Amino acid sequence: MKKFTNLLLKEIRDLVNKQLIISLLMMMAIFYFIGVMAKTEMKKAAGTQKISVMDLDQSDLSRGLAGSLKTANFEIEWSQGKDPEAAVQAAKQGDTYLLLVIPQGFGESIVRLEPKEISTYTFLRSFSIGGIRKSEILKAVITATNAYLSNDVLKKKVPDVPPDILRSPIKSKDYVIVKDRMAEGSASAISGMVYSQSVIIPIILFMIIMYSSQMVISAIAMEKQNKTLETLLTVPIPRTAIATTKMLAAGIVGLLSAAIYMIGMKSYMGGMMGNIRANASMNAVIKQLGLTLTGNGYVLLGIALFFAILCGLAMATILGVLAEDFRSAQTLMLPLMLMILIPYLLSFFADVNSLPLPVRLLILAIPFSHPFLATPNIMLGHYSAVLYGILYMAVVFFVLVFIAARIFSTDRVLTMKLRWGKKKVVF
Amino acid sequence: MPTVLKVEGLKKSYGRKEALRGIDFEIQTGEIFALIGPNGAGKTTTLRIVSTLLTPSGGKVTFLGHDLKKEPEKIRENISYLPEEAGAYRNLKGRNYLKFMANFYAETREKAEEIVKRAEAIAELGSALDDKVGTYSKGMVRKLLLARALMTKPAMTILDEPTSGLDVINSLEVREIIKKFAKEGISVLLSSHNMLEIEFLSDRVALIDKGLILDAGTSQGLKDKYQAPNLEVVFRSALR
Repeated sequence: MKKFTNLLLKEIRDLVNKQLIISLLMMMAIFYFIGVMAKTEMKKAAGTQKISVMDLDQSDLSRGLAGSLKTANFEIEWSQGKDPEAAVQAAKQGDTYLLLVIPQGFGESIVRLEPKEISTYTFLRSFSIGGIRKSEILKAVITATNAYLSNDVLKKKVPDVPPDILRSPIKSKDYVIVKDRMAEGSASAISGMVYSQSVIIPIILFMIIMYSSQMVISAIAMEKQNKTLETLLTVPIPRTAIATTKMLAAGIVGLLSAAIYMIGMKSYMGGMMGNIRANASMNAVIKQLGLTLTGNGYVLLGIALFFAILCGLAMATILGVLAEDFRSAQTLMLPLMLMILIPYLLSFFADVNSLPLPVRLLILAIPFSHPFLATPNIMLGHYSAVLYGILYMAVVFFVLVFIAARIFSTDRVLTMKLRWGKKKVVF
Repeated sequence: MPTVLKVEGLKKSYGRKEALRGIDFEIQTGEIFALIGPNGAGKTTTLRIVSTLLTPSGGKVTFLGHDLKKEPEKIRENISYLPEEAGAYRNLKGRNYLKFMANFYAETREKAEEIVKRAEAIAELGSALDDKVGTYSKGMVRKLLLARALMTKPAMTILDEPTSGLDVINSLEVREIIKKFAKEGISVLLSSHNMLEIEFLSDRVALIDKGLILDAGTSQGLKDKYQAPNLEVVFRSALR
């Protein structure tokens, strides 16, 4: 055990170097900085917005519309003059994102039920979420004003019937059912919200698996490149311990690094999502439907991730043996990277269950698919699928470890070298 | 002198290629036994098998009564191996590298410290032992590795081209260290291209070519047998 610890500590020391610490700290700082910036932008978007308004009508109705804008937290910058083109030019020079032009005779035209068009101009100065939200708020104000005006007209024309019934005679209530739970809400809104809340999970899974696999493959390749492996193989410690300590050290450092990444990502995502107060009611619906990760859910996801890391480490150990040096190790990461990348990307764009059977089987055969599939499966209560995935990964892991142990306990650890698909032996 | 290592009919194949075709030799306690031969003769393969890195395809290797195939761990406890192009962990300080290696052989911290002290004396690197190995010259790395190989006072040390790439001064120092430790009872199995080095160091020499030992004996004995002024001529005559 003392020898094992001696080797494990050396492996951890090898991995935790200045470069790693600096890159982790930098990553944390970057995530934190982006999070703070995003938070500020979102606050700005939710706060008072500037809008230029050219009111060529000066009627009660046009003033009423401007009043609604104020209620919606807009700060109005009145545009003088009579020419909408000049108003556009003036707004372009300033820092406003929106311009509303109310034409002359607008009020009267509404009363006559021959509405004149108002014009809205959005100055796309950036693609930030905050910038886009401003025009969405303006649209919402116009929709609300439209509803108010149409209600007013309808009340006058059909005083006995509530205008709401006239405008929308068909009333509907939307329900979403997940297994044996039901809640009122829009399926698309709920899906969107669940997606936005769980989007971080595959990113973290991807990073942890990639990171730890990369570390172990590089560690073995570096032993070969620096000509230290031969010496290590002749010291009195079981060969399997050499492979195990490399995997264990990479696993420990990989998990720690992932935790640090996760803190940074949480700060970033907190900045992106934290200020949307409207989410509160939606969160309640999501909870009611059980579409959140409970304690047990996290444990299951953790186990799935753990086995995926183990599979990645075992696979990287075998690939590391095939590497001649650090550079060839990077090339050998390619198959592993693809195996992680495919389920990672699929987790964003597709539902595995809706794929054709051969493709589905292929995806399920990749051990790294299972932690990515685990999150939606846990949320939707498909626990057996998660457990089968874990079982499958455990089997794959033991097979890989057996192969890795065989390689390390024979000549192959020194003689196997992959060169464009050829096995090369050393004399 | 008791026999430490006994090699009988040793064979090794890499696929269809026969690297060793049945070689036999023995090494006694405190003896320096050298293998000389051209590139690809089978020297390094022999050294790698004896150091338990490779498994033989045939024949038998016995070290201190332990069968190499059955008890490689027992053999590893009593040998040390210095490969030709060996390196040390570049991010470790010289002293920490020695400590790391000593911990595989020492049961207690005191014993490990004693081993490291011995290594420090062998390496003679002074304050450079507190620098990272990555900053060392080739000669310094070689001395550090030789110290690592000898610090545990193994029953036998296996040295592949021990002075390869070293300058004259460093080579002389390394040879003297090897000689000194052999006198203290450590057996040495080495290979080298440097015939002068072989003559200076070895008690007995084996001439190896194409996986077979052509002849073996003391340097002087071989020179007398082949009526040659030096081992280079001996080797050329043996090849004919």
